[in-house]
Amino acid sequence: MAVHSESVMSSRRSYLIRRVFHGFMALFIIATLLFFLFRLGLPDPTAALITEGLNPEERERIRASFGLDRPIWEQYFIYLVNIVQGDFGYSFHYRAPVADIIWERLGNTMILMLPAIVLAYAVGAPLGAWLSWRRGSRADTSGIFVGLMFRSAPMFWTGMIAILIFGIGLGWLPTSGMRTLPYEATGFFDKIFTLDFLHHLILPALVVALYYLGSPLLIMRNTMLEVYGEDFIEMARAKGLPERRILYAHAARNALLPVVTQLAVTIGLAAGGQVVVEVVFSWPGLGREILNSVRTSDFPLAQASFLVMAAFVISLNLLVDILYTMLDPRVSFK
Amino acid sequence: MNNAITEALAKPYSGKRTSLRVLAVTLGLGVCASQSQAQEPMPSITLTTTTESYDPIRYEAAFIIAERWEELGLDVTVAPTEFSTALERLYDQQDFDATILGWTGRTDRLDPQFFLSTLDSRQSNPGGNNPGGYDNPEFNALFDQQSQAFDPDERQQLVMEMQELYKPDAPLIVLFYRDEVVAYNHDTFEGFEPMAGEGLYSEWGPMEAEPVGERGTLRIGGPQEPDNLNPLASTSVWGWKWMRLYYDRLVRLSADVEPLPWAAESVEQVGDTTIAVTLREGMTFHDGEPVTAEDVAFTWNYYLDQDYSYFNSYLAALENAEVVDERTVHFNLKEPSASFASISLSQIPILPEHIWSEIDDASSLSPVDVPTVGSGPFQFERFDRGEFMAISKFDDHFYADDIAVDGVEFIIYADMEGVYTGLQTGEIDVTAWRMEPGQISLAESQDHLTVVNVPDFGYYHLTFNLRRPPFDDRAVRRALTMATDRERMVNVLLDGRGEVGNSVIAPVNNYWHEAFIEQFEFDMDAARAELEDAGYSWDEQGRLVR
Amino acid sequence: MNRSRLLKSAQEPVRAILGDRLALVGLAVLMSIIAMALFAPFLSTHAPLAVNEREEGSIFTRTLEGEQVRWEALPPLGDETLNAADYRDGLGMAVGRNGVVWRYAEGDWSRLDTPLTTTLNAVNIREDGATLVAGVRGTVALWTPDDSWRTYDMPEPMGINGIVWLDDSTALLVGGGEVIWRLDLPRGEVETLASPVGRGFDLNAVALDVDGSAWVVGDRGLALRLDPEDDSVSLERLPGNRALNHIHFADSGAGLIVGERGTLLIREDASARWQSQNAPDSRAIRAGWITDEGHAFAVGRSGIIFEREPGADWRLVPSSEERHLRALMVTDEHYFAIGSDRFVNRLAPPSGEHWFGTDHLGRDLFSQNIHGSQIALLVGFLGATLVVLIGANVGLVAGYFRGRTETVLMRTVDVMYGIPFEPFALILVLLFEPSLFIVILAVSLLTWRTVARLIRSQVLSLRERPFVKAARVAGASDLRIMYLHIFPNVMPLVFLELAIIVGVSIIAEATLSFLGLGPPQSISWGGILHNARLSGAWREAWWWNLPPGLLIMITVLSVFFISRSLELVANPRLRARR
Repeated sequence: MAVHSESVMSSRRSYLIRRVFHGFMALFIIATLLFFLFRLGLPDPTAALITEGLNPEERERIRASFGLDRPIWEQYFIYLVNIVQGDFGYSFHYRAPVADIIWERLGNTMILMLPAIVLAYAVGAPLGAWLSWRRGSRADTSGIFVGLMFRSAPMFWTGMIAILIFGIGLGWLPTSGMRTLPYEATGFFDKIFTLDFLHHLILPALVVALYYLGSPLLIMRNTMLEVYGEDFIEMARAKGLPERRILYAHAARNALLPVVTQLAVTIGLAAGGQVVVEVVFSWPGLGREILNSVRTSDFPLAQASFLVMAAFVISLNLLVDILYTMLDPRVSFK
Repeated sequence: MNNAITEALAKPYSGKRTSLRVLAVTLGLGVCASQSQAQEPMPSITLTTTTESYDPIRYEAAFIIAERWEELGLDVTVAPTEFSTALERLYDQQDFDATILGWTGRTDRLDPQFFLSTLDSRQSNPGGNNPGGYDNPEFNALFDQQSQAFDPDERQQLVMEMQELYKPDAPLIVLFYRDEVVAYNHDTFEGFEPMAGEGLYSEWGPMEAEPVGERGTLRIGGPQEPDNLNPLASTSVWGWKWMRLYYDRLVRLSADVEPLPWAAESVEQVGDTTIAVTLREGMTFHDGEPVTAEDVAFTWNYYLDQDYSYFNSYLAALENAEVVDERTVHFNLKEPSASFASISLSQIPILPEHIWSEIDDASSLSPVDVPTVGSGPFQFERFDRGEFMAISKFDDHFYADDIAVDGVEFIIYADMEGVYTGLQTGEIDVTAWRMEPGQISLAESQDHLTVVNVPDFGYYHLTFNLRRPPFDDRAVRRALTMATDRERMVNVLLDGRGEVGNSVIAPVNNYWHEAFIEQFEFDMDAARAELEDAGYSWDEQGRLVR
Repeated sequence: MNRSRLLKSAQEPVRAILGDRLALVGLAVLMSIIAMALFAPFLSTHAPLAVNEREEGSIFTRTLEGEQVRWEALPPLGDETLNAADYRDGLGMAVGRNGVVWRYAEGDWSRLDTPLTTTLNAVNIREDGATLVAGVRGTVALWTPDDSWRTYDMPEPMGINGIVWLDDSTALLVGGGEVIWRLDLPRGEVETLASPVGRGFDLNAVALDVDGSAWVVGDRGLALRLDPEDDSVSLERLPGNRALNHIHFADSGAGLIVGERGTLLIREDASARWQSQNAPDSRAIRAGWITDEGHAFAVGRSGIIFEREPGADWRLVPSSEERHLRALMVTDEHYFAIGSDRFVNRLAPPSGEHWFGTDHLGRDLFSQNIHGSQIALLVGFLGATLVVLIGANVGLVAGYFRGRTETVLMRTVDVMYGIPFEPFALILVLLFEPSLFIVILAVSLLTWRTVARLIRSQVLSLRERPFVKAARVAGASDLRIMYLHIFPNVMPLVFLELAIIVGVSIIAEATLSFLGLGPPQSISWGGILHNARLSGAWREAWWWNLPPGLLIMITVLSVFFISRSLELVANPRLRARR
């Protein structure tokens, strides 16, 4: 890579600043959109209290305690100010700070999604490289077939079948939740670094990993095929290097960039979790919580969960862009 | 033939009567159904129900109803709606034609007060419990009478009269009472007595359970968790079902829903509006402090003061509570109340004054700051949101010797799927919520499980909007009720595990239920006759017109 | 010229598909799924949402293997339900719908020819074998062992539910509208007895007590007793107010009354009081039998069979199949339970009648799966078209004009990326009602972002190409350049995206339906799986949860195969997407 001139450096810096600014803009728009969508579209959060026999005056008092009796613009203003101060407010339903709930749920989601996605890429990428090397063979065809097959089956269905076979049929693995209850541990990490947790993690993580497997596999395979045609591979061949060495040391390294990009994007989207997997495996993640919060019109919780997810996606997309500017000199800084 | 018809007509309440009348009508009178009058088609009807995922039973029930109503010549659209949206439209906006919803049977609703109030026209303002807008002054008057009638027999008469009074007007269709089918593992625990409306996870369940296996801690599994465990903020049954295990009440309702003195040694009426409660001796809170009359009076006045909406209906009649001596408290009422001594005293917990008197605004306590000290038979151990809750037996409680378990753990699952799997694999001993129909037959085939059917006194209902045509016409409501095949709902949707509805006071609520009210059995001919008598007819396309 | 270029660009993908074996297979599969959707009404064997009910003359017999009691279904007696049965001295009779009468003698059942066509609900045999049958609309007939029938006229066409011989020449009939009739057979005369209640309640059964009095039971716990001494009908107080369906007395004087909601009343002997008993199931019990020793049996709806050892608790006894049982017939060697009026054919495994079995409401799953293809394809193709239309245009405009337009459009894409799919769909459903439109809207609103980005980057490089510059110099308008010069060059990419998004949309639709956000009363593969999970039966009923998942998989897979061949045309450098 050539030494960057002063102007390239500064244009890169201003590009980054612009990108970060755009990210915040997007977040602001989403926050606003959500606020009005919820207020205008969702039912009254105290509506469900009718079934508990509460009369209108009593419910009105509860609404007031949620701050819902104020004019909507005032509510919006308070909401924005609070967000800027990092205060997500109090959940209507749990009567607890929203931040606590979200961090816990987000942790649960990531502890499932991260290992699963990493596993998918750790297996998928080398497999894709290998398939490209054996291109046209029966192994290649069946590899593509299997990868696409798990990509085509809805994740909730794969999960149900997995539970039927390994959970209920063979009885090898637990089918729901994150750990055997009740337990003694108290801290977040105490709860996670246990064999019991790993035992619970296997089935849902495998299902998620199988779904994502096809993506790195195909990207890697296809990019490798392109790379094979490039000059430096031909040169390596001419030098008489062994095929295996060419494959892994030269071609694969160059084909890795799109895979890593895709990985970052996937992780960004993973913050929202796969709602259906959380439903099927009773995983107490953020995806399920957000569905519940929308259903119960728990505005503060729903707003904050959406925002956290959006922030995650946007910042990882940003990271991808930055990665590109760092690694690929061909990208211009428009 | 003619004789037979008139004879049948003379009999009141005969099921066959109306169908014979139809016969007569179609034979002779039907021909001259007037074509000359201006005929207006009926407005089309939107039948609101829950979504399939919220409750598949009510969802399917709506389609069973719509099919028959359409047969009567009405234009019916079924609108499955998210639960809270449906509630809001029904109660707050009163923007509905006909809506299928339900009332859960909570023990305090075994007292007829609440369910009868859903037909009181003073509850028909937006947000009130009578969204249909049924308005019958006679009914209202009886309602007031019964709520102040101290003598149970006199009150029973009034309650039954009210049921006879409203039923022929068909302001709503009580669709069915659904059995709560629950199960427990008889290899680990025994001795459960199911309680109507509560199933096995009643306040008595943990006190009755006897370990037969090695584990002394009873494990209950449920599909939902408390919103919070703040006795001044929780607004869910799940919160109170758990809290009542570690907070004591002055009175507890027995499994047959009779009020038993509990923390109270005696409850006496000392005047129209004063109730005297004498406390049991020697009770202590879990932190060792004694339970005194001060604590009791403090709690009640604190609840009045803190304005905790969830308890307002229990406190509505209360003026204040005053300490008379160390063990006696007087409850001064604003007006005589039939249900105060049984219902209110059995619902409000006793809070320790030395802890709560420090707290000014109890409803905004952060979960970690909420005190958990009570004086109940169990004491609080922990609550891990989304995972489990635990309490242990309180050895200094006066009832401790009768409790066989060491403690109780409540395992929180995501849905009934998880709960059932837990029960099947021995992770839990009892289900806290009813099983899905498909799980019941599975549970029955498991050797270690006992399946229990608990009849419910809560009911599923279809409420008509009496402010809107065509439901402003009594005859239409009556006809539509007759055209609602509730038997089929019970047989097909509930697989027989339930009962066709008749009164808002369910048959299982034996003392208050009036069995001899009009039943509105499913009868399409009778429904047509009812409409015809009220001047309706059908056009060439079979649409109902007036 | 431009038209031919458009055509050419469209030809290329077709050639690519035809040249690829996997793509051809995919195309063939997709075509058959499309055919399935188009001809769904003809292909399905049943109405997909109709509850399948059956009726038959079910008969079960009690078997004993060691200690284990089990009631086994025997081959059914015809297609009509059997409502009542009686047995005396080697002769058994069972009656049912459409005037059906079956005779049981020497271990064999045979159907009698009858002059009756109405539904029969009651039967009683006299010592000499003469049998009275009765049913709806006042039907009463006498069968004598010489195989002759005689019918009797009743004063009113009321339904008769119970019948009993009082002596050799008179019988007591009870039924709907609280009628109690005494029939004098030789004279054919009917005397109406007055009920002390007289409110028109249905009477359901009658039986003779050992003291010669007749007991009648009916709706709302009603029990009447006809005293033979003074010919009076008196009201008896029994515990409970549920409808009573059947009454039986043993020769010892032990008695059993059964009724709705698990009502079981036992009288241990002639002098004892009726005691309410705990039933192990709270559903309707239709018939009961008690032996001299106090061994009792009861049967009811949904295949309920209870038994009780003398003095012990009632317990539920397993049976081989679930039918609605209506009556018990006890012979010298056997216990028979008979039924079964229309029962729902629930959770039936695959059979000749239901190829993919039935669900929890007895609905045909084969037909549901066939119909499910319609929504999948509709959402798949319509959604994808919409997505590509929006995405391609946004990408084209953003890439071509750049500047402020691009910023606004691409920032919108950023915002779209920040919105998670399922919760957003839920909000849409809450805002509007759930419908197919909402599903398509949700799918397309959140998928066009990828397409827009890809097309834009392609356009960015295209707009700098010489042929675009040339067109601009020649004075072509922006629109013309965009759609006639640039667009044909991104066509392959558009086709590829279309194919991929079809697959994505099908999965997205299945996901929403699985979460219960699909349109009501519509049939979709995700919806079938939703029902399966919701019912709790999915872990046993493999026929319920395997086919829809497999169908989704092969449909999406075939689309992906096709898209793979397009990929080569579109852009060899193209990366796969999320």
